[in-house]
Amino acid sequence: MATEPESPAEEIRHLRRSINDLVSVLALPATWTGGAPSQIVGNSLDALVRILSLDFIYARLRESTGPAFTEMVRVGSNWESKPRPEEIGEKLQPWLENDPQQLPAVVKNLFGKPVITLVPLQLGLHAEIGVIVAGSQRADFPQQTERLVLNIAANQAAIGLRESGLLSAQKRVASELDERVAERTRELATINEELRKEIGERKKKEEELRLNEEALRLAHTQIAQSEERWRSVFENSAIGVALSGLDGRYIAANPVFQKMLGYTEEELEQLRFLDITVEEDREANWKLVQELLGGERRQFQIEKQYRQKNGRAVWARNTVSMVTGSEGVPQFWMALSEDVTEQHEAKVALDKARSDLAHVARVSTLSALTASIAHEVNQPLSGIVTNASTCLRMLDADPPNLEGARETARRTIRDGNRASEVIKRLRALFSKKNTAFDSFDLNEAAKEVIALSVSELQRNRVIPQLDLAAGLPSVLGDRIQIQQVILNLIRNSSDAMSTVADGPRELLIKTDRDESGGVRLSVRDTGAGIDPKVEEKLFEAFYTTKSDGMGIGLCISRSIMESHQGRLWAIRNEGRGATFIFSIPCRTNT
Amino acid sequence: MKLSDGKSITDRPLVVVVDDDESVRESLPDLLGEFGFDARVFPSAEEFLVSDSLGQTKCLVLDIAMPGMTGFELQQELTVRGQKIPIIFITAQKDETVRTRALERGAMGFLLKPFSDTALLGALNVALGLR
Repeated sequence: MATEPESPAEEIRHLRRSINDLVSVLALPATWTGGAPSQIVGNSLDALVRILSLDFIYARLRESTGPAFTEMVRVGSNWESKPRPEEIGEKLQPWLENDPQQLPAVVKNLFGKPVITLVPLQLGLHAEIGVIVAGSQRADFPQQTERLVLNIAANQAAIGLRESGLLSAQKRVASELDERVAERTRELATINEELRKEIGERKKKEEELRLNEEALRLAHTQIAQSEERWRSVFENSAIGVALSGLDGRYIAANPVFQKMLGYTEEELEQLRFLDITVEEDREANWKLVQELLGGERRQFQIEKQYRQKNGRAVWARNTVSMVTGSEGVPQFWMALSEDVTEQHEAKVALDKARSDLAHVARVSTLSALTASIAHEVNQPLSGIVTNASTCLRMLDADPPNLEGARETARRTIRDGNRASEVIKRLRALFSKKNTAFDSFDLNEAAKEVIALSVSELQRNRVIPQLDLAAGLPSVLGDRIQIQQVILNLIRNSSDAMSTVADGPRELLIKTDRDESGGVRLSVRDTGAGIDPKVEEKLFEAFYTTKSDGMGIGLCISRSIMESHQGRLWAIRNEGRGATFIFSIPCRTNT
Repeated sequence: MKLSDGKSITDRPLVVVVDDDESVRESLPDLLGEFGFDARVFPSAEEFLVSDSLGQTKCLVLDIAMPGMTGFELQQELTVRGQKIPIIFITAQKDETVRTRALERGAMGFLLKPFSDTALLGALNVALGLR
C-alpha cells in the first residue's frame, strides 16, 4: 500500500475498501454465534490477517479460572514457516507482561524481520479477557482505518467471548439444576415409599400397643401385689436393709436398720453412708463402693462400725450389692446389715483372754528361765568369791604365799570372764523387743536356749545332742517367742524322760529345711512317749500329764507357731519317746 | 609339805568336795588349805563312792544338782551304807524348799553359791564340832 498523497480516485478506492473491511469485520459475529472461545478468536484472527495483510496476529486468552491462558497465532502468506503460538508469545513477553498500552512499538529484528510494528488490542476494558497483538513490516502500519478495523474486531471478539462464557455458564447451571431436580425426585420417591411402609407399621404398632396396654394393666396389678409383698419383707426383715442412691445418700431404710443406728428414715435420707461410718472404716468402705460403682464387682462384704445417733459405735456385717435397671445401668445399692456388736465384743474378750494366757505362759517360762539364769550366773560367781578370798588369805599369810596368790588371782579373772559370757548370752536373749517381728537365725536362737538349759538337762541326766543344718535361711518372727517354744519343747522332753527309770535319756535337737521351703526344728526324746488315748488333747489348754504343770505350754506354743504362719505337731517315735516338730516360713517366703 | 600350823599332812582333817562345776573344784581346795584342812575333790558322787577317800572324810562339801547321782541321793546312799559323814550342801539354786529339805535330812550346813570364806569356815567349824 502506498503512503504518498493519494489521488481522489485512489482515495475513493481506498475508502471503499476500508468500508468493505469494516463490513466484513462486522459480519464476523454471525459466523460464530454459539461457538467456543477458540472459534470466535480464530475466526477474528483469520479475518484480520487477511483483510489488513498483516505479517502476524497473536492472541492470548485468559482462562476464566486461574492464571493459565490459551495462545493462538495467524501469520501472513509471505511467511515461509508457521511458528507455534508459544514462540510468538515468548518473543512478545516483554510487551505483554507490562502495560499493553505502551504499544504500538517499532521493534527491530523480530521474527527474522528487520523492522516490525506491533499494535496491541485489549479484550475487555482492562484486558481481563485477553490481549491481541497485530504486527506488520509496513512502514505506514497502522493507518487510521486499520486501527479502526482492529479495534472494532477486538470489541466484537470481546463481546462474543463474554456471551460465549455466559452461555456456557448458563448451560452448566441448567444441567446442574436438571441433575438436582432428578436427584431430589429420586429422594422424594424413596421417602414416599418409606412413609407408606411407616404408616403400615404404625398401624400394626398401634394394634400391638393396645394389646400391650391391656397386658400392662394386668402386670401393674401383679406388680402392685408383688411390691406389697416386698415392702412387707423389707419392713419385717430381721436384718437391716438400707438402699443408697449413687451419691451415697440413703433413699430407704427398714425399721431394723433404723433401730440399729438410732436414726429415723427421714433423718437417714439426709445422710450419706460415710457420714455414719466411723472414721477408720471410711477409706476401705469407700474403696469397695467405688469398685461397685465402677462395675468391677457386683457385691461385697464388709465388717465395719457405724456411729449411732447417740455417738455409740455399733459393729455391723454388711453385704452390699448394686441394683441395676433394665439397661444394666446402676440405680442404687442395697446393704443387708447385721448387728454383730455382741459377737465382736465376745471376740475381743476371747482375744484378750488368749493374750492374758500367753502372758501367763510367758511369765511362767520366764520365771523358769530366771531360775536357770541364777544357776548359770551363780556358778562362776561362786568361783570368783572363793578364789578372791583365798588370794587375800595367801597374801595375808606370813610369809605371804605369792605363788598361790597369783594362781588364785588368775582363776578369779577367768571366772569373771566366764560370768560375763553368761550375762552376754542372757542379754542377747532378752534384749529383743517382746513383739518385734524380725528375721533371725533359728540355729543361733536354738543354741542360746540350749546353752541356758544344759545344766538343767544335766541335772535330769539328759544328754542333749545337736544336729543343726548349715546354711539355713533366716526366719521371720518374734525371736523370744520362738525361743520360748523351743525351751518349752526341751523342758517337756526332759520332764518326759525324768519319769523313765531305765534306758538312756537322749534328747536330739535337729534343724533342717522342710518340704514347703520353710525351716523345721524337731525335739526328739526317749521318754514315755504319747499315750494314744490323749494324743488329741496334747495341744489343748489346761491339759497336762504333769503334777505341777498348768497345761498351757503346748497350747501356747502352738498358738505362737500359728501366729508365725507356722505349725507345731507331735509324732510317736518308732522306738521310744516322741518327737515334737515345728516349722516356720523363712524370710523369703513371707 | 610344811603347813602353817606345823601339823603334818596326815594330821589335818580331810574335807571332800563333790561338785560337777570345775571352777568350784579348782578354787575350794586352796581355800580349804588356807583354813588348815586337807582337801580332795570329785566331779561326781559316783566317783567319790568308789574312791579310797570315803573312809577318811571328816566333812563333805556337796553340790545338790549334779548330773547322775544328786547330792541328796549321795546323802541317802551314805546313810544306807552307815557312813556318818557331816555334810555341808552347796547350791546355786535359791530355793527355800531345797534348804528345808536338806536341813531336815540332817545336813550340817547349807550354803548358797556364791558364799563367803567366813560362811564356809563357820559351817566347817560347826560340822566338825570345832566350835
